[in-house]
Amino acid sequence: MADHSSSTTHSRFFQHHFVDADQQFETAKMGMWIFLVTEILMFGGLFAAYIVFRLWYPDLFTQASTQLNTFWGGVNTVVLIGSSLTVAMAIKSAQLNQKKNIAINLGITLALAAVFMVIKYFEWTHKFELGIFPGQFYDFGGIEHEKANVFFSLYYLMTGLHGIHVLIGMGLMGWLLWRSLKNHFDSEYYTPIEITGLYWHLVDIIWIFLFPLFYLIE
Amino acid sequence: MSGHHISTDKTLLSVAAALLALTILTVGVTYIHIPAPWNIITAMGIAVVKAGLVALFFMNLYWDERFNSMLLIAGLAFFGLLVALTLLDTLFRAEVIPAF
Repeated sequence: MADHSSSTTHSRFFQHHFVDADQQFETAKMGMWIFLVTEILMFGGLFAAYIVFRLWYPDLFTQASTQLNTFWGGVNTVVLIGSSLTVAMAIKSAQLNQKKNIAINLGITLALAAVFMVIKYFEWTHKFELGIFPGQFYDFGGIEHEKANVFFSLYYLMTGLHGIHVLIGMGLMGWLLWRSLKNHFDSEYYTPIEITGLYWHLVDIIWIFLFPLFYLIE
Repeated sequence: MSGHHISTDKTLLSVAAALLALTILTVGVTYIHIPAPWNIITAMGIAVVKAGLVALFFMNLYWDERFNSMLLIAGLAFFGLLVALTLLDTLFRAEVIPAF
């Protein structure tokens, strides 16, 4: 726990109501973990809906999944894994005071997130052209299952909520990049990178489950 | 300080390589057509291992305060409770109601 002899309390970002910089760091991190629990439970409602409908209509999922492109889903999985790696590298760079590498790694992370969203955009618009819309707007004749719209409602809700998280993550990465260029981060203070990293890794983990659940159904 | 573990490049790159290999594996096994329900169990098993690697070594839970791991486990436990109690209803209906 907090080391009371810490000499790291002189950072310009140290807030006086904390015992020392380490306690401030640990507090922020714990707060982020509690937020991530609420995120897990928000996505959890959708995962629970997925489980209910997959058990009700197993054939639907097998048939409808053929409309999803495994290749591009796989590419996006690799893109997000790469971006998780670069966030971890950004944190390591901050810990080692390699300030230029913080910005480089955050920049790559931001670029990879953009690649993910561009691929998502083309996947969605391709489906819209086919008439694959969620719910009552579903207008596609290629799947022989009367509940085909249910699969795509889940698909749009879950990849959509995930996509919103990626967009928010991009905003946060841009903010961190700007701050790193203003020289705000070093080995004594990198809390925003650490906790944004936690958020970003959770977004990666959600996708790690969405990919097999939607794209890899035989 | 547990909160300031510094990961080496070797650790981070090894974890990323393992995640990449498991992604290729989870796509690869779909080509050998494992019979249900083992195909879903395999896919979810691989996903859980990948998520575990991210949580332990990218989110640093391996070196972190155990309290943060406890928060994650508590979140997952409540998700399990949500699914279990929901299925007690939806799995035991005479017919699917409502019909959507």
